[in-house]
Amino acid sequence: MTKQIEKRTVDMTVIGEWVEPQSRILDLGCGRGELMAYLVQAKQVYATGVDLDFTRISACVGRGLSAYQGDMYAFMKAFPDRHFDRIICSRTVHELNDPAGVILEALRAGSRVTVGFVNHGFWKNRVDSLFRGQKVRNAVYTTAWHESRPANPLTIEDFEVFCREKSIRIARRAHLLGDWRTPCPAMPNLLAGYALYDLARD
Amino acid sequence: MTDEVQASAKAASGPRHLAADDVGIVRPRDFTHAGKFTFKSGQEIQGFTLRYETYGTLNATRDNAVLICHALSGDHHCAGWHSETDAKPGWWNNLIGPGKAVDTRRFFVVCANVLGGCQGSTGPSSNDPATGQPYGTKFPFVTIRDMVMAQKLLLDHLGVSELHAVMGGSMGGMTAMLFAIEFPLFTRRQIVLASTSNESAQAIAFNEVGRQAIMQDPAWNNGDYARDGGPRVGLAIARMMAHITYLSDAGMDRKFGRRKRESAGGESYTFDAQFEVESYLRHQGQSFINRFDANSYLYITRAIDQFDPARAYGSLEKAFSHVQAESLVVGFTSDWLFPPEQNREIALALLRSGKRASYAELDTDLGHDSFLLESADLYTLIRGFLERPEAYLVDFAI
Repeated sequence: MTKQIEKRTVDMTVIGEWVEPQSRILDLGCGRGELMAYLVQAKQVYATGVDLDFTRISACVGRGLSAYQGDMYAFMKAFPDRHFDRIICSRTVHELNDPAGVILEALRAGSRVTVGFVNHGFWKNRVDSLFRGQKVRNAVYTTAWHESRPANPLTIEDFEVFCREKSIRIARRAHLLGDWRTPCPAMPNLLAGYALYDLARD
Repeated sequence: MTDEVQASAKAASGPRHLAADDVGIVRPRDFTHAGKFTFKSGQEIQGFTLRYETYGTLNATRDNAVLICHALSGDHHCAGWHSETDAKPGWWNNLIGPGKAVDTRRFFVVCANVLGGCQGSTGPSSNDPATGQPYGTKFPFVTIRDMVMAQKLLLDHLGVSELHAVMGGSMGGMTAMLFAIEFPLFTRRQIVLASTSNESAQAIAFNEVGRQAIMQDPAWNNGDYARDGGPRVGLAIARMMAHITYLSDAGMDRKFGRRKRESAGGESYTFDAQFEVESYLRHQGQSFINRFDANSYLYITRAIDQFDPARAYGSLEKAFSHVQAESLVVGFTSDWLFPPEQNREIALALLRSGKRASYAELDTDLGHDSFLLESADLYTLIRGFLERPEAYLVDFAI
C-alpha cells in the first residue's frame, strides 16, 4: 500500500514540473483530489476536477477544491476552445469508453493535454503474462480479472502510434523505469514502467 | 416543498427540542424597514416587515452568518420548535443545529420569510396603510431580486458584515444565486440545491395551472377577499397538483402504490377518495389552505417563473461574471421539476466564468423534495463545503 502511495506522489511530481504556475487546470478522473490539492499548493493553479463518484466529489469539496460530478466528455463539451491551459488525464485513460474521443476533445478544450499511464509493455508485465498465462497483475493492478474494473491496458508503443495517426504533437515525454522515479535511458516500451506525455494540437 | 420529508424527523420519542443537536425552542422576530421600498417593477411601498428567525451567535467580526433561503411554500421557521408541544420542527431541522451540517455553534443562521409571503412578512394579505385593507392584487409585483434586496436590508439591520454562506433549495437556490450576483463582495459562499437558472416551459406550465385553479375559483374575486376566506378550493387544487411535481413516480409508488384506504371498503363505484394517494393529496390541499394565502401563491410563483438572470444580464456567464462566492450546486437524480441538467448548467456557467464551483449529484427517489432529504452524504458534503479552509482568494476572471 505504501508503495502505491509513493508511486502516486512520483507521478504528481512529474506533472507538477510541467504545470505552469497559476494556470487553469482540469483533472479528468480527479478522484479525491490528491493531484489537484498538490498542484494548488505547489503551483497555485486554478483547478477543477471531474469524477463520476459522489463520495470522491464530496472529498474534493471538503478539501477546498472545485469538482464536478459527471461525465468528463460531456463536461469538456460545455467549454469553449482552449478554456483550460492544461487538461490532465492521469492514470485514467485505460478505463475510458472512448479514449480517442476524450483525448481529442481535451485537445480542443485545453491548450495542453497531459496523459499519464502505466506501461503494459514493461518487461515485468510481459514476463508475468508469458509465464502465468493470466491477466497481468502488478504492484498497481493487483486484482484478478473478475474483481477489476473494465480496462483497456495500453503500452508506450500503442500511445506513440495513436499520436502519430491522429497528428497529435508530443511536446514532452517522460518515461520512468519500474521504480517510477529514474528516467528510462532507452527502449522505453520494454524498460519503462510509467509514461507521461504532454500533448498539443498544432 | 411538501410537509412529508420533514415529518419523519418527529418520529423519535422524547422531547426533541431538548436533543443535544437541536436548536430548541425558537421565537420568530419581525424586522420592519420604515423607509420606502422600490420594487424592480418600479412600484413602491412605504416600508415592509420581514418575519425571521436566527440561531447561533454573530461573531465579533460579524462574518459567520449563514442565510437560509426557503422555497415557494416555506417560511422563516427552518429549525427548532415554537413550543414544547409543537408537532413538528422547522423545515430544515435535520440540517441545522448544534453539531449538525450547518453547525449553529459556528454559524449565525438567519432565515426570513420572503417579501410577498404570507407567514408574517409583508405581502398581498398585509394591510395597505393607505386604505387599511389588504393589498390583494394591488401589491406590487415581486421578483426574486426584490426578495433579495429586502433580505439584504434585514442582514444590514442585524449587523452582518458578510455572509459566510447563503443557501437554499428550489426557489431558495434562486435567491442564493441572486445574492451572489447582486452582492459579490458580501457573499462568500453559495449552496444551490435542486434549483434552476430559469424554469423550463413545463415548470412554468405547472405554475400556470396552479394560478388558474386559484383565479378561476369565484371566491378569488380578483384577489379581493376577506382574510379568512378566499379561493380555498382553487388554492387546495393548486397545492395538490404542485405537490405531485415535488415527488417522483418511483417515490409515490413506494409510498402509496395502489393501496386503498381501509375506510373505502369494497365499494369501487364512487368518487370518494379510495386510494391512499388521493386522500393524501386531499389532506395536503386542505392543510395548505389553512397556512397559505392564495394571492401570495400567485405572486411567488410568478416571481419564480420570471427568474432568468441569463436574460437579465445577456448570458448566464455575464450574470455570474462578478460573483466572488465559492459555489456548490447539488442536483438530485429523481428531480424532474428542476432536473439535474438544469443544476449542472448553473455549475458549468460559473466554471465558464472562471469561478470556483462544484457540482454533486445525489441518487434519490424523492423527486424535487430530495433536497430536504435526511442523508449522511448530503450532510458531509454541505458541512465540508461550509467548514473547509479558505481557498486561495485569487480571482482568475478578468
